[in-house]
Amino acid sequence: MDPQRSDRFQEDCLGNGAKVTLKSLAAPVKSQVDKFQLLPAFLKVRGLVKQHIDSFNYFVNSDIKKIMKANDLIVCPYEPSLYLRYTNVYIDEPSVEVDFVKEKLTPHQCRLSDRTYSAPIKVDVEYTMGNQVSKTLVQKKDVVIGRMPIMLRSSCCVLNGKDEAELARLGECPLDPGGYFIVKGTEKVILIQEQLSKNRIIIDADSKGRVTASVTSSTHETKSKTVFFMEKEKIYLQLNQFNKPIPVMVVMKAMGMESDQEIVQMVGRDPRYSSLLLPSLQECAGARIYTQKQALDFLEAKIRILVKSKLVNFDRAKSILFDVFLAHVPITKDNFRPKCIYTAVMLRRMMDAILNADTFDDRDYVGNKRLELSGQLVSLLFEDLFKSTNYAAVESMNKVYNKTSRSSPLDFLRFIRNDLITNGLEKAISTGNWDLKRFKMHRKGVSQVLSRLSYIASLGHMTRISPQFEKTRKVSGPRALQPSQWGMLCPCDTPEGEACGLTKNLALMTHVTTDEEEGPLISLCYSLGVEDLALLSGEELHASNSFLVIFNGLILGKHRLPQHFANAMRKLRRSGKIGEFVSIFVNEKQRCVYVASDGGRVCRPLVIADKGVSRVKEHHMKELQDGVRTFDDFLHEGLIEYLDVNEENNALIALYEGDAEPETTHIEIEPFTILGVCAGLIPYPHHNQSPRNTYQCAMGKQAMGNIAYNQWKRMDTLLYLLVYPQRPLLTTKSIELVGFDKLGAGQNATVAVMSYSGYDIEDAIVMNKSSLDRGFGRCICSVSRILDADGIAAPGEIIRNHDLFVNKHSPKIIRDQTKPGDLRATDYKPTPVTYKGPEGETTVVDRVVLTTDVNNKLCIKFLVRHTRRPEVGDKFSSRHGQKGVCGTIVQQEDFPFSERGICPDLIMNPHGYPSRMTIGKMIELLGGKAGVSNGKFHYGSAFGEPSGHADRVEAISETLVKHGFSYSGKDFIYSGITGYPLQAYIFMGPIYYQKLKHMVLDKMHARARGPRVTLTRQPTEGRSRDGGLRLGEMERDCLIAYGASMLIYERLMLSSDPYQVQVCRTCGLLGYYNHKLKTAVCSTCKNGDSISTLKLPYACKLLFQELQSMNVVPRLKLTEA
Amino acid sequence: MEGAGGGGSGGGSGVSYQRFPRVRIREMKDEYMKFELRDTDASMANALRRVMLSEVPTIAIDLVEIEVNSSVLNDEFIAHRLGLIPLCSERAMEMRFSRDCDACDGDGECPYCSIEFQLNVRCDSDQTLDVTSADLHCHDHRFLPVDVAQRALAAEAAGGYDAPEQRGIIIVKLRRGQELRLRAIARKGIGKDHAKWSPGATVTFMYEPEIHINEELMETLTHNEKLSWIESSPTKVFDLDPKTDQVIVADPEAYTYDEEVIKKAEAIGKPGLVEIYAREDSFIFTVESTGAIPAYQMVMNAIEVLKQKLDAVRLSDDIQDNDDQFGDLTRNIQGAAL
Repeated sequence: MDPQRSDRFQEDCLGNGAKVTLKSLAAPVKSQVDKFQLLPAFLKVRGLVKQHIDSFNYFVNSDIKKIMKANDLIVCPYEPSLYLRYTNVYIDEPSVEVDFVKEKLTPHQCRLSDRTYSAPIKVDVEYTMGNQVSKTLVQKKDVVIGRMPIMLRSSCCVLNGKDEAELARLGECPLDPGGYFIVKGTEKVILIQEQLSKNRIIIDADSKGRVTASVTSSTHETKSKTVFFMEKEKIYLQLNQFNKPIPVMVVMKAMGMESDQEIVQMVGRDPRYSSLLLPSLQECAGARIYTQKQALDFLEAKIRILVKSKLVNFDRAKSILFDVFLAHVPITKDNFRPKCIYTAVMLRRMMDAILNADTFDDRDYVGNKRLELSGQLVSLLFEDLFKSTNYAAVESMNKVYNKTSRSSPLDFLRFIRNDLITNGLEKAISTGNWDLKRFKMHRKGVSQVLSRLSYIASLGHMTRISPQFEKTRKVSGPRALQPSQWGMLCPCDTPEGEACGLTKNLALMTHVTTDEEEGPLISLCYSLGVEDLALLSGEELHASNSFLVIFNGLILGKHRLPQHFANAMRKLRRSGKIGEFVSIFVNEKQRCVYVASDGGRVCRPLVIADKGVSRVKEHHMKELQDGVRTFDDFLHEGLIEYLDVNEENNALIALYEGDAEPETTHIEIEPFTILGVCAGLIPYPHHNQSPRNTYQCAMGKQAMGNIAYNQWKRMDTLLYLLVYPQRPLLTTKSIELVGFDKLGAGQNATVAVMSYSGYDIEDAIVMNKSSLDRGFGRCICSVSRILDADGIAAPGEIIRNHDLFVNKHSPKIIRDQTKPGDLRATDYKPTPVTYKGPEGETTVVDRVVLTTDVNNKLCIKFLVRHTRRPEVGDKFSSRHGQKGVCGTIVQQEDFPFSERGICPDLIMNPHGYPSRMTIGKMIELLGGKAGVSNGKFHYGSAFGEPSGHADRVEAISETLVKHGFSYSGKDFIYSGITGYPLQAYIFMGPIYYQKLKHMVLDKMHARARGPRVTLTRQPTEGRSRDGGLRLGEMERDCLIAYGASMLIYERLMLSSDPYQVQVCRTCGLLGYYNHKLKTAVCSTCKNGDSISTLKLPYACKLLFQELQSMNVVPRLKLTEA
Repeated sequence: MEGAGGGGSGGGSGVSYQRFPRVRIREMKDEYMKFELRDTDASMANALRRVMLSEVPTIAIDLVEIEVNSSVLNDEFIAHRLGLIPLCSERAMEMRFSRDCDACDGDGECPYCSIEFQLNVRCDSDQTLDVTSADLHCHDHRFLPVDVAQRALAAEAAGGYDAPEQRGIIIVKLRRGQELRLRAIARKGIGKDHAKWSPGATVTFMYEPEIHINEELMETLTHNEKLSWIESSPTKVFDLDPKTDQVIVADPEAYTYDEEVIKKAEAIGKPGLVEIYAREDSFIFTVESTGAIPAYQMVMNAIEVLKQKLDAVRLSDDIQDNDDQFGDLTRNIQGAAL
């Protein structure tokens, strides 16, 4: 920071009170560089939802080509010369074809007309055309094989690279981040899926306490899980294809590793390893298995019958070892050596864990996790659908080929259906069900409707990570906060209740990697001195002076100078020769160097430091501010780099430049970036008790405000808007970065912390009626209704319950499809659509949209709006997890006032503070008060005091005093009722209050009489059905205990389902009353001699009859009462 | 100026509560007024404040009939904004409440209780058009929006020159092709019903402080101590006489009863350095008007309303039924009055 700026900064902090003294001038120029500007620059290139967009771009631009290349040939099985080959695939711009005219699609059109925002997938093909005799090779371009739903703001999207004015023309909000799909008019997010790393060895203890080493292999062809475990000191292999655990030595022998000595060498010559291996070796020898043949025979017997294979006996075991066992290790022909070595390394790590419990892997460690993003998920789906399209083409070819009479030439192109891919993708994204038979994947809820309750809600939705475990598991491990989450996942933002700690959110600067080309990196490793695995003997493998080099879970070989190798790789990365997201991690404990370039790793940018000196200097930041330098320049020049969780272990990261020591390798950009989007809204979160921040993260998503700039053009099913939303007086840097200052969700209320009237107990707040009159907390609720046909209510019309929306007439006969002109007026019956809203609420028709749906049918959409002012029972909350309902509304003249004439908007009870310990809220009040006094926004960014992104209380107090307030924020207040001064000074000032979506009007419910369920004749349940209020079991118990029998009788029978029955005293069964004869008859006894009339709950009578229908005879024994 | 008619005639069996409050006006502008109210107690002062806030009638738009609205804001939104525009209400006292008016059926076509406004704006240029209070047209110029009326006055004084940067209170902004056409009925009302009818922006009072400096003790302080003691008050209450180096009370009313100086005195080990009392029978009022009626008028009207209310109470004891209704209350008032 240059001296001038630092002075200004100081002035800002101290409220212009600081004077330039000799001392301050003589002080050394601070070397701290304000790196904050990097953040907006980062968000410009990476964006808040950039991980989604990157992932989808990767799929659309490269992955889809790879998938096509892997399945590029379809051949007719009867005649191999009849084929089709895909030569290219690409995705066109989003458009629809209407009457053979290509029409461009915009996202907003799709939202309004319930269409899917998708683009045609086009391929170039060459195929043979002709019949069995003569064939010609034809090439064709731009063949549509299906439609791909397009992620908004991805490289295929029309919004890509558009500026604000262009976006506005397209009806799009410039602040909307994109990253979601529009399927059938609804916005769908594909949630980030958390998973355990694929292709990595995980050493863990299972539920029985056995040490296990497991690998989930995943390649394009297969997925498998290989588990080694130790039981009774012997090591076994568990594989789904084998019905019993296999002794590990048998597996080794089956792979051609017949010499026990070599096995032991491969694992390591340390006698401790040998002694642990001994029981396994003995077992193998005990079973008299010495050769590969014997081992394979042994395995053959253990194969699960389910595996149907055409191969002969001997080959089956081998093929399992070849294809399934450690499927991700590529091997050629019969050379099983790489798999042997891999097995040996797994065993070695297992035994390490047995010898030293510290070396167990932690499943919850973020470095062992991968995040699956929308691109990968769509790619899985597309691959499957593409294959089935091709398969279907082959099938229909077979059918046609076998037909004797054919008129048209045989060509594959005709058999490629384009609806399979279109429908498959659309269905999966709109339902959220990912069903892939090939991978046995049946996931539900992968995609969700994007929450549009508030701007923050939708942003928060895009950064959400859905858990890998089912929520019911009662384990604490995966729910706990992991130290490795630092900077990657938000420590605050997680829901309460069952998904607590499982559902997470990304932090502000997190990036999720996409796959990177492996080939060049592998050859680079070899040229940097990695000794190839194939050239090493078992003995050499674990030589004491070398480290194994593992690339994406594959053992490449070993390196004698691991640190040197890592440094060289990193240097290449910093100079941009290899991808910036490649991670190099030297694991001293495991004596391995891990190089990773796979997708789904979380990483974040950090400033590189040389011997504790930051590489980012003041002039760099100045260049950034002047716009001559971008974030990518920082990256390419090696000033900043991305570190993933594993590589962070090799770094020493200083929080601030001033804290750097000579060993420091990296410096954080800004500490508040460890928080996510939702937690970023909280001012001074580091002064709050931590659960309060978590509560606010959940509540910020329910706050009403502005949704987007295009909010009035949208037709959401439910829309809550605030009439006068404000920007918080006490902001944070995150707020400005995410744009919450432009689309706020709350209002700055002057709050007095005091007790008033008793209607403020239990967190209730007292509100000033005049404030409400002037528009505080006023909101607009819109509900959209969809109708399909005509006499339509006009916009601006006031509409009440039971009023007509659409005076529709529909034809009486639907079956016989006649022309509309043929029907006369009498053929129609009126089918008016009436409005069903709460009684007494006057709503207004806001907008009427006439569109055609996909089938070209007329569709009328109504938006009905209602303006509400706050009322008693509406829910409000500050930004500190302090929610409360409005307890009472009081006239302004009864409200306390100060001699300056300040009168609070709401009163909050001081009991809200001691147990919640939300000091941040108090500082917000102080800062807000100082802010309104001197006319500037104060900052309260998390951990921001040292870097000047949060104003200190001392500075705020000084500002307050300068403007004639008490330094403590307390005011001398008079009672509005008596005019006497209050006994205590009152802590009063502005706090940003959010109005939450829970409002009494939507919830209040009471009924005296009303509808009943037909089956049981009991009152219906629930507010929507105008149901009764249930007197439940526990309430009943109370009444029984109290002895209020008549009350029970009245509640449980008279007010519910009384019914008069005729009971026969002789047989005890129910009879009936014959209204013609005016007598009661027992149908069992065939007479009416001894019939009594009594009252029963109808449900009871129903039970008796149901029992009778099941051949149980319930007999009533009556006594005289 | 005469004080409010509180108290009644006094004498009788009970103690006399009769007082003779005095009012001294310190400062008076159209929209701002500061005065002292002496020789009465908090109940009087507070009653005056409460009445000013909530019971002095003004005129405000109450009913809006929207003909065309193609603006970005919805009908209710605009209606709410219109309601909050202060209108000149000097005639409000003479007007009738719409509910009491027997000359009309409440449709706004009544000279006694309602005033009609028209607003008819359409944007035909490429520039954003601000619809402001100046676009509200009314046949009766006594009921113009406050800012419009003020500017008209100012323009008259300045010779017909209207500052373009002040175009009134913005109601809504229109862009090309958008239109707003409506009819609005303004009615008389009081702040109790809705804040838009409240004439007071700020109505507040404070107890007049009485500050006694213990000069003897003060002299024991050094110059710097005195300075830091003076500084300890967030408001500028005390000052140091540069000549005599004596602490003087510069502005007692700046004192906010924060007791900072007393705490400071204790902190430097001189408790009792200053004694500050609130005079319980003396109030300093600050009244700011929204402009609907001048501040002075607002106070006078408040007194008038207060009188009427008291009259209503006094008159009610003529009717025997009220005795049963109010019981003790009536008797107390009677006791005091007789």
